[in-house]
Amino acid sequence: MLVWSTASPAVGAAFLASIVEVVEAFTIVLVVANLRGWKPAVMGTGAALLVLAAVVVILGPLLDQVPLHLLQFVIGVLLLLFGIGWLRKAVLRAGGILPLHNEDAIFAKQTAELTTEVQRHETAQDWIAAIAAFKAVLLEGLEVIFIVIAVGAGRGLLWPASLGALAACVLVLAIGAIAHRPLARVPENTLKFGVGVMLSAFGVFWTGEGLGVDWPGHDLALGVFAAVFLAAGLMAAHMVRSPIKEVKP
Amino acid sequence: MNILKDVLSELFSMFVADAQLTTAILATVAVAALLINATHLSALVGGAALLFGCVTVLVLSVRREATRRRAPRKDSIGGDFNF
Repeated sequence: MLVWSTASPAVGAAFLASIVEVVEAFTIVLVVANLRGWKPAVMGTGAALLVLAAVVVILGPLLDQVPLHLLQFVIGVLLLLFGIGWLRKAVLRAGGILPLHNEDAIFAKQTAELTTEVQRHETAQDWIAAIAAFKAVLLEGLEVIFIVIAVGAGRGLLWPASLGALAACVLVLAIGAIAHRPLARVPENTLKFGVGVMLSAFGVFWTGEGLGVDWPGHDLALGVFAAVFLAAGLMAAHMVRSPIKEVKP
Repeated sequence: MNILKDVLSELFSMFVADAQLTTAILATVAVAALLINATHLSALVGGAALLFGCVTVLVLSVRREATRRRAPRKDSIGGDFNF
């Protein structure tokens, strides 16, 4: 039976991370739709979803063959690399070192790039546009699949995590269909900060379990790890925001 | 082929966005694994080393990147001359 105290961190992480990824993919699909109409946008998106479904169908049974501790260790290390990378970028943005992600600016830039690309190919303009949508959905979708596997596979929570990701897709598509413009108001960096914290916490948890650590409090340890990463991230953002004082001789 | 190249490059950059960060995280995992498997210490000591090692790596990496981006560029004032 599903225990929600165990499943909710996985579902929450998959949901929030998927929102970030789907918003990014949606911006590109919208660029394609605005430039060449919905046909190439839907063709590219559909083809990418088919490839992603094939990846899931092939990967799913393979995961069952891997010993649990090895799976936890490998996924844990990959999560540490991915999660701390996300958290680092979010901290640098929160500290004003990197510019914030701006969906409106990305929309304008992608529109300009795709317009140039399409104008260069007179005969296959719809194909070029469809391939742009295909690549965007495939690349962001692969990240979603990794996150779902990473937060779900170690505890047999692949289905709840997948539902979290699916809910994010439905939510973004519904809001996108109504707004019909890039979802620039989504607090991308706050989401990325939160997801980076959760993925890093999962990374430490799974890596430790894979190495044979029996964490005190079991799943509750995840909350402690998340609190530690959150505190460290906020402290690091504050540290880089304040200018480093020079010591006078 | 171009799409495949882009996908592989994206997958690589998912985990290796910054070479120094990646190396430091892998070194932290290796130290934790050594503490757990090659010493008589409690496994929790290795677990704590993993957690606080990763936190330290994060903070140092943020600080390094902030310092690097704030430093004046070599090609703006002085530094190398490129003709």
